[in-house]
Amino acid sequence: MSYLPCGTYFESYLEEQKWWRTPFIKGKMILMLVLLVALPWLIPKDWVSVVCNVNYYILAALGVQLLIGYCGQITLGHAAFVAVGAYCSAMMVLFLPWPGFMVENGLAYPLSVLCAGFMAGFWSVLFGLPSARVKGFYLIMTTMAAQFITVPLVITQYVSRIGGRGHYFQLPPGTIKIGPVEIGTDSALDLGRLGIWDFDADTKVYYWSLFLVLLCLLAMGNLVRSKVGRAWVAIRDNDIAAETMGVDIIWYKLLAFFVAGFFAGIAGAFYASSIAFVSPEHYGWEFSLIWVGVILIGGVGSIQGLVFGSAFFVIIIEVLQRLLGYLSEGFEQSFPTLGVVLMKFVFFRDTAFGLAIILFLIYEPNGLAYRYWQLKNYFNLWPFSYTGKGH
Amino acid sequence: MENLLQLIVTGIMLGSIYALVALGWVLIYKCSGVLNLAMGELTMIGGYVCLSIYTLLAARMSVTPAFLVALGGSLVVGVLLGLMTERLFLRKMIGEPILSVIMVTVGLSFFFKGIVFIIWNPDTVQFAPRVFDVQNIHIAGLAIERVQLWSFFASIVLMVIFVSFFKYTRWGLAMQACADDEMAALSLGVSAKFVYALAWAIAFMSAGVGGTLLGNINGLNLSISGFGLLVLPVVVFGGLNSIPGAIVGGITIGLLQNLCGGYLDIYFPGGIKEIAPFVFMVFFLLFKPFGLWGWERIERV
Repeated sequence: MSYLPCGTYFESYLEEQKWWRTPFIKGKMILMLVLLVALPWLIPKDWVSVVCNVNYYILAALGVQLLIGYCGQITLGHAAFVAVGAYCSAMMVLFLPWPGFMVENGLAYPLSVLCAGFMAGFWSVLFGLPSARVKGFYLIMTTMAAQFITVPLVITQYVSRIGGRGHYFQLPPGTIKIGPVEIGTDSALDLGRLGIWDFDADTKVYYWSLFLVLLCLLAMGNLVRSKVGRAWVAIRDNDIAAETMGVDIIWYKLLAFFVAGFFAGIAGAFYASSIAFVSPEHYGWEFSLIWVGVILIGGVGSIQGLVFGSAFFVIIIEVLQRLLGYLSEGFEQSFPTLGVVLMKFVFFRDTAFGLAIILFLIYEPNGLAYRYWQLKNYFNLWPFSYTGKGH
Repeated sequence: MENLLQLIVTGIMLGSIYALVALGWVLIYKCSGVLNLAMGELTMIGGYVCLSIYTLLAARMSVTPAFLVALGGSLVVGVLLGLMTERLFLRKMIGEPILSVIMVTVGLSFFFKGIVFIIWNPDTVQFAPRVFDVQNIHIAGLAIERVQLWSFFASIVLMVIFVSFFKYTRWGLAMQACADDEMAALSLGVSAKFVYALAWAIAFMSAGVGGTLLGNINGLNLSISGFGLLVLPVVVFGGLNSIPGAIVGGITIGLLQNLCGGYLDIYFPGGIKEIAPFVFMVFFLLFKPFGLWGWERIERV
């Protein structure tokens, strides 16, 4: 929460906790919503899929932020739960004998997203159970074990074999329908009096991801300012003290694991639909680490930080890749080594990402969200700006 | 029965390499309290450095001296890298919360992995010409690969060297003092910075030797870092700050891996060999979270 401008005061605690505390904030949020809806027309076409990727990272890292930033339970195995969600949703859509009207009206996939959330949530609780007994480093070990048991063993060796399609599942075009809209194909949409609008595949995926992100961030924001969220923060700050204050820490820890897994499952179901393809490679251990890195870069314990971190990571990587692409097109004759650089791009990415995490932790441990907070305060308190430390 | 004996013997030999790498991990944790997740990448660096020096030298001299020089070279590079890592990255993190320190080591692991594969080829590379004879040695009806036998001896010798360094030399005693009570050690004139740097240097050395030996057995590629991660079940089993625990844990995990690979692979086809230590670790954590000889932490508000 940033400082408010001079002369703003509240008469009750409820007013202070409101989403939109001043008309200015309300206007800002509405403007942002309009911008988000209009985004596919404001940016170049090939960047829409990048924004979808940012949204996927937000969804996937949301659970990590909840567990690490709000509940203090360090997890290094979140990709496992995303994978469970993705496989659950894809397999439900592909293999369940849906009644005809559900497929036609596009109810099957939304229902499978919900089920994927629950499935990943329960899977997450299963591996969160040791958190009743262990914490800190030992909990990191169990979440790591969750990753290694789920993705390379259960999913690669057993789940992928179901249906005899080899290592991955392809979702054929037209299987993923939300209501009348088919995701993943270019098609025109009849909007009645507004005429027939052409939507390409990326734009539709973008709107679907926007819907999910807004819903999940809203749910998360409301959770952390409710009783549950206060209990989580109490556990994060000092779990023994929280227990003596009467917080049922085992219940709230498991709840945190469930909710984090639920968000991860939704993220997985979304990703499966957006690329129409599920494969264990997309849920390796490095992704668990990347999502923790994303919230560290953005700022631990802040929903804004999560958004900043995801955008920072995805966009920087994309810019790097495109830059290298342009360079190699222009200069391939004079610099033949550039081709090697492109081939090894993933390793350059790893190096840069590792260095970014280390430098952020050493020099900017509060992340990008803290800088944004300072910036906001600077303008809110202008001309008597004071941007010192403290939250 | 013979099969079982064979699996046990090779398991112990494999486990001794894990024990060597785990020893480095435990030294870092004991001295500076850093939980290092980059151990796999440290093993990888050591392996690749040794490999390139070896291929450079093998053309000019015979195999054994070339390998020994290469091993020595990788130890020197390991010491330098260890000192540098500690000075540049870890020293600034003293006193920071556990998540930050762990994530710095995760960052290091990404960084090192990237650097290694920018420099070297990501495909599998072998030590060529082979350092150890391919022919097996037959002892009491058991066929043992030479490379494994030599790895076993090398690990044992190095473990003895490291442990006696830690127990009997002046620097080792300084490390022990620092591990026991940092404040008291500081007031007695022990330089904590020096001790941390030394711990990282030793970890790099032991991991480098481990990586070299593993590379001789299977060839070097990305999966070496996965072998390095196996150090985590090892130290959890033995206790985070126990040196005998690391050794016993390493051998146990090696045994467990081989036995699971030998007997359970029929029922759970696929990667049971790589996963078994982690499954074991989860169950072990549920019942005895502080390991065999780890210190139990008593918490107060």
